[in-house]
Amino acid sequence: MALLQISEPGQTTAPHQHRLAVGIDLGTTNSLVASVRSGEAQTLPDSHGRHILPSVVRYAEDNIEVGDAAVEHAVVDPSNTIVSVKRLMGRAASDLKSLGKSSPYIFATSESMVPKIQTRSGDVSAVEVSAEILKTLKNRAVDTLGDELVGAVITVPAYFDDAQRQATKDAARLAGLNVLRLLNEPTAAAVAYGLDSGQEGIIAIYDLGGGTFDISILRLRKGVFEVLSTGGDSALGGDDFDHAIADWILQQSGYNQEPSSSLVRLLMKEARAAKEQLAAVDVVSISIEADNFSWQGSLSASQMRELIEPMIKKTIMACRRSLRDADIAVEDVLEVVMVGGSTRTLAVREMVGEFFQRDPLVSIDPDKVVAIGAALQADVLAGNKPDNAMLLLDVIPLSLGIETMGGLVEKIISRNTPIPVAKAQDFTTYKDGQTAMAVHVVQGERELVDDCRSLARFELRGFPPHVAGAARIRVTYQVDADGLLTVSAREQNSGVEASVDVKPSYGLTDTEIETMLRDSMDHATDDMRMRMLREQQVEAERVIEALDAALQSDGKELLSVQEQDTIAQAREQLVNAKAGDDTESIKSAIKQLESACADYVARRMNTNIRNAMQGHTVDEYAGNDQE
Amino acid sequence: MTADILSCNFFELFDIPVSYEIDIDLIQQRYRELQKVVHPDRFVNASDKERRISMQQTSWINEALNTLRQPVDRAIYLLKLKNVDLNLENETTMDAEFLMEQMEMREALSSISSKEDPISELDRFSAQIKSKMQSLIKGFAAAYENDQLDEAKEWIRKMQFMQKARKEVDELSAKIEDELF
Repeated sequence: MALLQISEPGQTTAPHQHRLAVGIDLGTTNSLVASVRSGEAQTLPDSHGRHILPSVVRYAEDNIEVGDAAVEHAVVDPSNTIVSVKRLMGRAASDLKSLGKSSPYIFATSESMVPKIQTRSGDVSAVEVSAEILKTLKNRAVDTLGDELVGAVITVPAYFDDAQRQATKDAARLAGLNVLRLLNEPTAAAVAYGLDSGQEGIIAIYDLGGGTFDISILRLRKGVFEVLSTGGDSALGGDDFDHAIADWILQQSGYNQEPSSSLVRLLMKEARAAKEQLAAVDVVSISIEADNFSWQGSLSASQMRELIEPMIKKTIMACRRSLRDADIAVEDVLEVVMVGGSTRTLAVREMVGEFFQRDPLVSIDPDKVVAIGAALQADVLAGNKPDNAMLLLDVIPLSLGIETMGGLVEKIISRNTPIPVAKAQDFTTYKDGQTAMAVHVVQGERELVDDCRSLARFELRGFPPHVAGAARIRVTYQVDADGLLTVSAREQNSGVEASVDVKPSYGLTDTEIETMLRDSMDHATDDMRMRMLREQQVEAERVIEALDAALQSDGKELLSVQEQDTIAQAREQLVNAKAGDDTESIKSAIKQLESACADYVARRMNTNIRNAMQGHTVDEYAGNDQE
Repeated sequence: MTADILSCNFFELFDIPVSYEIDIDLIQQRYRELQKVVHPDRFVNASDKERRISMQQTSWINEALNTLRQPVDRAIYLLKLKNVDLNLENETTMDAEFLMEQMEMREALSSISSKEDPISELDRFSAQIKSKMQSLIKGFAAAYENDQLDEAKEWIRKMQFMQKARKEVDELSAKIEDELF
C-alpha cells in the first residue's frame, strides 16, 4: 500500500478528529440508524432504549409523530397515519396500483407527476414523509453522539430504479443530511458479514423486507465487494404475506362488505402478529373483535405456508435470474446471507435453503444487519479509516434506454453494468431541416417504451438545419456511484453545440428543496446563520489541510514556481476569509482556491492512476499469501 | 506525465499483452487495484474537480473491464485497434451451413414454451449455446493470432449470431418464469 502515496482528502484528518457519520436503513416497515463507536458498529437506541423506529408518520392535530407514537394511532386515525411510504417513493400518481386495493390514503389530485397524500396538515409527498423519518433518526444520532454529523450513508434496495433513488436522496437532503453515498441494502449486509468473517468467494444476499425484495450476487475478494448481478421486486415483501393472511381471515369470516380502512389496519396487525408467532410455534389462534366484525379461528404453519408460497416462489425465480446474469452456478455460491425481518418466516428460510442447497446465514439480527453495514461504510467514507482497503463496487440494476421510432427502446446501458459508467450513442434526424429533437429517457428491460419506466423527457433545440440523416446528435448517459443518472445531448456535426443536462423528473427540483428547507428553518434563522458560518469554516479548514498535505507530498514536482505562487496567494486569501465571519466570502475564497488548484488536481489524479498501473507487481507479491 | 491517462488502450491500462487470450483473473485483480485508487468513494470529501475526474476515470476503467471480459466485445475491440473497419450492421455471414443451423435453433426455441418442463429445456439450450460459442471463440483466436483479419471478421459475425441467440434464450427464460409465478 506504500505505493498509493497520494493523500486522499480523508487521510489528512488528524486521528483525534473522529468525523461522525452514520448509516441509515430507511426501511418500508422499520428504520434504523447506526454508527461506529469505539471501533464497533452499533445501532443507536432512542431515549427509551428502542433501536427500531417503525417507519410510520402521523400528521396529528398540532405536531408530527414518527415511530411508535404514530403506530399507536394507525388504527384510529388511518388517513393521517402513513405507513410503508417507501412503496410510494419515486412513484407517479399513475402507478399507485402497486399499493393494492386496501390503501387507506386519500390522494390529492394534482397536476404534478408526484402523488400527494391528503392529511390534516396539508398534502404531503412520499419524499416529505420519508424526510420526517430521517429527521427523527438524525436527531437521535446527534443526541446520542453529541455532535453534528459529517454525513450519512443511506441504504436503498438494490432493485430501486433511478426515480426511487433520486427520491431517497431528496428526502435525505430535505432532512438536512449530507448524503455520503446511497448504498444498496444487500451490499451493506455483505459488508456487515464480510468484515467479520473475512471470507472470500461468491456470496448471495437474500433480502426480504416489509415491502421490497432484493437478491444480489457478490464477489468478495481482498476487501473489495464486487456486485455481479442484482435483481428483485420493488413491490414484494412481508407486507404481502400479511395481506394474504388478512385476506384469508376475511374470507374465513364470511364478511361480505367492503372492509373499512380501520378494519383493514386491524386485520393487517393481527395477520402480522400471527405470522411472527408462527416462526416459533406450529399453530396460532386468532381472535378479532371490532365494530360489526368478529372472528375466532386458528392458523397453522402449513396453512400459512400455502398462502405465502407463491410469493416466496417468485423470489426464488428472481434468485435464479440473478445467478444466470452473473453467470454463476448454484454450486459456486459460498454463502447465502439472510437480510430483512421477513426472513424470520420459516417457510422463507426453508425454501431459500433448498434452492441454494445450503443453510442460509442468520447470525446477525436481520433487522439490524443493513444499518450496521451502512455505518461501517459511512465510517470509511467519512475518512476515519485511511488504511482501510474496503471498496464497494456496485452495478446498475435496470437497463437504461432511449425511445426510438415506433415506441421502441434502444438500450444504452444494460443492467448489471458496474457503476459509475458513461455511454454515448449517436442519433440522427429523420426530416429535412429539423432543428430540434425530443429525447425520452426510460428504464427497464422490455422492448416497448410503454412497458418501461419513463424517467425524463427533454428537447434538444436550436441546432442548425441539415438534410435528413445528416445531423449527428450524441446522447450521453452518465450514472454516478449512487446509481443516479444524468443525460446530456449535443449536436456535434456543425461545430455548433446545443447541450442540455437533465435529471429525471420524479424527485424534487433543487429550488423546491431549498424552499422547503428555508421554510422549515424560518424559526431558527440566527441559529441557522451561525451554523452555516461554522460549516463553511470547517470546510475551509478541510480544504487547506488537504492542500497542504498534497503540496508537501508532490507540490514541488508537479508545479512550476509561478503556479506555486498563485496557489499560495489563493490559500492566503482563504486563511484570511476564514478568520472573519462572512459566510459568503469564505465560500468564494474556497471556490477561488479550488479553481487555482484545478490543473494541479488533474495532474495529481493522473499520477495517482499511473502509480497504480505500474505499481501492481509489488501489490501482487504482497497479496500472495492470501490467495 | 501530463499525457491523458484516458487515452491509452484497455490492454495498456491493465498492463497485459495485446492478445485475444486473456487472464481474466489477472485483469480482475488489476481492475480492483485501480478501483481502489480512483473510485469516487475515495473522493467523497474532495473538490468537485477531483470528484469529476474520479468519475471519468472509474467509468473508463469499468468500460475497459466490460469490453475485455465479453468475448465478442473483446474481439471487436482488438480489430478496432488494428484499424479494421467492422461494418457489422450491413454485413452478415454467408456460411450457408451456419445459417441453417441458426434457423433450426430458432425453430426449436420457438416451440420450447409448449414443452412440459420449459425451464430445464431452456437450461439445456443455454449449455448448448455456451459450448458452440466456445468453438467460435477458438476460431476467432486462431485467425487473429495468425493475422488473418478477414477471417477473424467472419468469426465475429458468427459470434454475434450466437450472442443474439443467447439473449433470446435469456429473455424467453425470464418470460416463462414470469408466467409461471
